[in-house]
Amino acid sequence: MAAKKVAQEDKVSVFHALKKRALFALQVLVAVALLAWVVNPSKEPRLFPERIPVRFWHMWSGEWKDVVDKIVARFNASQSRYEVIALSVPSGSADQKLLMGVSGGDPPDVMAQWNQVIPAWAESGLLTPLDSLMTPNEWEELQATAYPVALKIGRYQGHLYGLTTGVNVFACYYRPDHLAAQGARTFPATLEELTELGSKLTRLDEKGQITRMGFMPMGFNIYAPIFGGGFFDRTRNALTLNTPENLRALTFLAESRGRYGYEQVVKFESSLNTGGFAIEWPFISGQYSVTVDGQWRVEQLAKYAPELKYATAPIPPPQGGRTLAGFANGNFMIIPKGAREARGAFEFVKFWSGVDQPERAAEFYTWGGWLPLSPKIAQTPVYKAYVKQYPQFQTFLDLLASENIQPTAPVPFQVLLTDRLTRTEEAAVRGTATPKAALLALEVDIQRELERRKRFGL
Amino acid sequence: MKSSTFGKPSLGVRIATHLTLLLLAVPYMLPLLWMLSTSLKEDTQIFPREGAATSALALENLLPHPIAWHNYPDAMATVPFGVYLKNTLLLCVVNVVGAVLSSAIIAYGFARLQFRGRDALFMLMIATMALPGQVTMIPTFALFRELGWYGTFLPLTVPAFFGAPFFVFLMRQFFLTLPTELSEAARMEGATEWQILWRVVLPLSKPVLATCALFQFLGTWNDFFGPLLYVNDPQKYTLAYGLQQFMSSYGGKWAQLMAASTLFILPILVLFFLAQKTFIQGIATTGSKD
Amino acid sequence: MKREHLGYLFISPWLLGFLGLTVFPFLACLYLSFCRYDVMAPPVWIGLGNYQELFFNDPLFWKSLQNTLLYAVLAVPLGIAAAVGLALLLNVEVRGVSVYRTVFFLPHIVPTVATSVVFMWILNPQIGLMNNVLGLFGVEGPAWLQDPQWAMRTLIFMSLWGVGGSVITYLAGLKDIPLSLYEAARCDGAGALARARHITLPMLTPVIFFNLIMGIIGAFQYFTQAYIMTQGGPQDSTLFYSLYLFYRSWRYLDMGYASAMAWILFVVVSTTTFVVFKTHRRWVHYGS
Repeated sequence: MAAKKVAQEDKVSVFHALKKRALFALQVLVAVALLAWVVNPSKEPRLFPERIPVRFWHMWSGEWKDVVDKIVARFNASQSRYEVIALSVPSGSADQKLLMGVSGGDPPDVMAQWNQVIPAWAESGLLTPLDSLMTPNEWEELQATAYPVALKIGRYQGHLYGLTTGVNVFACYYRPDHLAAQGARTFPATLEELTELGSKLTRLDEKGQITRMGFMPMGFNIYAPIFGGGFFDRTRNALTLNTPENLRALTFLAESRGRYGYEQVVKFESSLNTGGFAIEWPFISGQYSVTVDGQWRVEQLAKYAPELKYATAPIPPPQGGRTLAGFANGNFMIIPKGAREARGAFEFVKFWSGVDQPERAAEFYTWGGWLPLSPKIAQTPVYKAYVKQYPQFQTFLDLLASENIQPTAPVPFQVLLTDRLTRTEEAAVRGTATPKAALLALEVDIQRELERRKRFGL
Repeated sequence: MKSSTFGKPSLGVRIATHLTLLLLAVPYMLPLLWMLSTSLKEDTQIFPREGAATSALALENLLPHPIAWHNYPDAMATVPFGVYLKNTLLLCVVNVVGAVLSSAIIAYGFARLQFRGRDALFMLMIATMALPGQVTMIPTFALFRELGWYGTFLPLTVPAFFGAPFFVFLMRQFFLTLPTELSEAARMEGATEWQILWRVVLPLSKPVLATCALFQFLGTWNDFFGPLLYVNDPQKYTLAYGLQQFMSSYGGKWAQLMAASTLFILPILVLFFLAQKTFIQGIATTGSKD
Repeated sequence: MKREHLGYLFISPWLLGFLGLTVFPFLACLYLSFCRYDVMAPPVWIGLGNYQELFFNDPLFWKSLQNTLLYAVLAVPLGIAAAVGLALLLNVEVRGVSVYRTVFFLPHIVPTVATSVVFMWILNPQIGLMNNVLGLFGVEGPAWLQDPQWAMRTLIFMSLWGVGGSVITYLAGLKDIPLSLYEAARCDGAGALARARHITLPMLTPVIFFNLIMGIIGAFQYFTQAYIMTQGGPQDSTLFYSLYLFYRSWRYLDMGYASAMAWILFVVVSTTTFVVFKTHRRWVHYGS
């Protein structure tokens, strides 16, 4: 009896030990497998290992990244000397990464940018002047043929540091059905009329909350030129901040918002699905009747809401204002100093922008719904067919050619200036400062920055 | 020792405690549950339809219906999840090993050995915790660049081997609470300090080691700036970087963003549940003693 | 080997790291604070220029300092009060108390980036959970993060979500209080409140002190949540010091200016910590 029990216990303990050992072996196995997987380096896939690599950074993702990859593939197929390797960098930290890359001695060869970096980076000696990579003839021709605004975006103190591959301009998108319901057959010809129509188009629910926005103007940099103002005088090469025109524009923005109350608009906007993707643009679901947006929406609407009936128009001028006016920025290509393959990079820039072959590049511009670098590209059959297919795009081409479109002022502290402009607009539309006081504060602020820079030789 | 209130609390006290804790637990758990719930919703369930200002919070809207599993594969498809996970794990393992080992050695020096200036040096080490990271960021970057470490994992792993002040602090506190008799006995038998550390002190210090390991794991797992600054190759990016990448491009896509966040948090939660007991014991025995 | 040297040998990894990765960058930063420097071009000496600008010419510097102090003054004591309260509750022996402990601790280990994203979603004024729940009670919630009146309060309020880490330390402190103290007090006829005031709180002061120091350091370095959720807005109401420092360095590329800011921050933090240390003999209770 006793012996039996001992044997049983033995069996149990042997079984136990075995189980323990098996478990241990299993753990070791898992650990080793994990380690092998972790330590084993993954190789960057190179399609053309024999070619000179051109490292290209950009900030697009999602459906945009697909377009970029397509263009890169085209370039790689078009010649046999270079291979462009694209890397998508998170847009929020791309600038920092580039700066570190350049100072670390390992910058990309070319980068697609849209932030306001050209003057500051050019001042720091971070950028290769692209005109230095062109023959004098090429540079002459580019200046003669490109849209002036496209070059303005990339130019600083006589040199071209960024070549634009897509200008962004802003115009009204509107729903003719909403307008017709208010008895408006045509789009208003003045900003005053548009404002009045907008307030008729806005819908509130029983609690007084906005459910549809007729028209809500936003963006000091868009409206200042429309009111005949702007922030930079290119003939005097000086900032123009506290001017009567800018004050009118700011007052208009503050009054438009004040009509509903700042809070109400915040609430309305935060309920909207603004994922940055066309499918969920609130304009499609009818939550805006008239809204101001960039030309890329045309392409997206065609893709995701082909049934939607809509039209576009330039923002109409107010009394005494300017027609076909507004703000422009854009995507542009830069080549950092220290790029190992500046030549190859520039080949890629030319390929994409269409400096050398407008016909070939025209197609890329249509893929992204981008506005072209030059009228030459706009005249190509491919691009003309595109505009014919999407007549709404014509508005943006008209704006592109206009002299009243202004990019950010070419001062070395563009980012700070933009931040302060945003702050000025916010103070005015929130009503924490009168437009006049806000504008004065802006001027004082920027003056202080100018003096500081002068004192320290920045 | 186990119970600081004496005897069993009365029924009334227990019920009141339960109710209060339950009530408080709601705001503590809700954000995570809401994240999970949102990650399984379709956009149509998240955003109000045309003409309605708010999506009235009907009870049926708390839970996803139908369950949109596709948010997960969708989120994973936008970044190379596997590659990032692998890199993150590699960095975590190296950093955990480096930081825990070196901190233990340093802490032993501060806790058990006598030398001139010991307490002053210890205070100095504590003071460095008050240093804002931004102060040292730029020169540190320049230093690693000069060493030729830019673009490698070295800047992200080597510093861990110099010990982490916070861990040294926690471990020192813990070592001080250990009875000295065992070490003395070992010393009598001719053991060196090094052997005492390995054979006597460390085996008794598993809770605090686990705590530091988990903290280091968390720190490395979450580190976004390090990889951003030093890594230049998409094959070397980490999950924290991936989440940031995701956020900057999918700002308003709440369902997918929540799915990505859930994926990011999940391994940490699993790890926490595995190590929970040792871990809580670890903090519990360190923070209190002066 | 002499024991004296042995000690240095043991702490040598830290000493090396301290010299290479702390002292050097620290002095370099001090030098840069007297320069203009944009990362690319070599730094140029401008003397006290950056400090002059900061003190006399930069309203945002003062604003950010004020915001950070406000946050520290409110969030740190609130956090301590909440954590002590929770620890007292979690110290009661009820069934399933370890589950509760996990529940309150869990948020502490959720990465800040993820926390911030989740809270942005919850605090969405229109379709967020928070205002919808308030709506059930007939309360119209504000635009938490878009209203300058509310944004700072919201962030302070949010900080309470992560107190679980310090709760555990208080719990440990509670466990260390000798039962005999309570029994003696009970014999003297002290009520529950009196016991809490005269025994529990004084005995917890070392842990409170530890968390106070950590809280102050953390508050001055508060960054991620504001960076992700508000970017310093609305109207600079959540422009924290570290955030402004970050903007100056990486957004405006004013590394010299940012270095000066970093140094000022270091002086402020170490002075505050030092003052707290000075007072601690007066209120921190050691031993029994």
